[in-house]
Amino acid sequence: MEEERYEQTTACIRFDAELMAYLEGEGRPFVAAHARECEFCRVILADLEHIRTTARRLPLEEPSPAVWANIRAVLAREGRFREKVSDWRWVWQGQFLPHPAAVGALACLVILGSFLTMPPASLQREAFSDFVSSPRKTAAAPVPATREDSDLARMTEELELTYRANEKFLAPETKATYEKSLVSLDTSIRECQDSLRQEPDNTLAHDYLLTAYTRKAEVLASALEFGGR
Amino acid sequence: MKPQKSAAPKAASEIQLIARAQQGNEEAFAALFEAHKRRVYSLCLRMTENTAEAEDLTQEAFLQLFRKISTFRGESAFSTWLHRLAVNVVLMRLRKKGLQQVSLDDVDTSQDEPVKRDYGDDDRRLTRSVDRIGLERAIAELPQGYRTVFVLHDIEGYEHNEIAEIMQCSVGNSKSQLHKARMRLREWLRQKQSKEPSGATVPMDQALGER
Repeated sequence: MEEERYEQTTACIRFDAELMAYLEGEGRPFVAAHARECEFCRVILADLEHIRTTARRLPLEEPSPAVWANIRAVLAREGRFREKVSDWRWVWQGQFLPHPAAVGALACLVILGSFLTMPPASLQREAFSDFVSSPRKTAAAPVPATREDSDLARMTEELELTYRANEKFLAPETKATYEKSLVSLDTSIRECQDSLRQEPDNTLAHDYLLTAYTRKAEVLASALEFGGR
Repeated sequence: MKPQKSAAPKAASEIQLIARAQQGNEEAFAALFEAHKRRVYSLCLRMTENTAEAEDLTQEAFLQLFRKISTFRGESAFSTWLHRLAVNVVLMRLRKKGLQQVSLDDVDTSQDEPVKRDYGDDDRRLTRSVDRIGLERAIAELPQGYRTVFVLHDIEGYEHNEIAEIMQCSVGNSKSQLHKARMRLREWLRQKQSKEPSGATVPMDQALGER
């Protein structure tokens, strides 16, 4: 018996020594043969093969919408977009389409937008403003200095309208967090706009304004994504 | 890296997207991001085990890609180019953080001891208990160097010669580290299994919530 036990241990040691090469696809027939005979080594081989198989099937993870928002903002700032698309297109690309709440809200907004463009515009806009705004409505009066500012301001405004139409889907504490961020960002936007009114060439204020708009768009996108789940 | 299965039309449309992105078309940039974001983000996440850092690295990788896209001439597959770039961005960040574990040249003898054989029962194979959540957790427990090689080889499909080039180590070293990584994963999962009641599994939402 002792002789048999010693022989088995030696074989297991050889199994250990050749296991790595076997798993790398090298021809090591001893490993498979020994695994058939030795229950201990058979389990080791099965475990490692299972780990390898499971690893290959791990699903891919999804980054938050803020990642593209950041990339887009940086690329826009660097002037890499020579052929622009409408401000709505990027919103639709994969981020909000899967979420019925956001899509439904956007559809309603399109219908409402059409309605509001009919005269008497001033009266209806006031009614619409009452409809979409709450006491915490945070939109700052846009005073765009450049076309880029104007685009960002419009995009942010559109996002905010969508957000207002969907905010009821957010849990109160989540909504409070987003509101706090939005109020803070609107304060920054107003301060930058005030500075730019007094000094239109103030580049620092302009940069801060762009950053504030970008961050606000990210917060709104994140809120919409969260609310759409 | 093993080529990904992709239909010819998909490749053709990607070539068109790249050409449009090279002309500064915003929609093309967005579409390229959309097509590759999950793979790049997953790579960054599994190598760092930190969602905020992974998003930051994803952003950095795509920004580098888009800034260089005018130089892409199609000598290699676009996805290969992008993922190699992402790996380099992650490794650069890890090295900047001073994580010496990223180097594979450090000799680690902790796994040179004989393989434990106290689980001779076929019924106690890991196949019963290892799901993707369990494996993700185990991967997160690996030292950075082991994790990097395991992620690159067993998840991302890089070959050892590519890993050796990326990590600036020998092919043998890459193979050895991978084997040790797998053995350490097995050991971790075994310990986990022995602590849990037979057949018990962690609820998926609970496991996900811990990330």
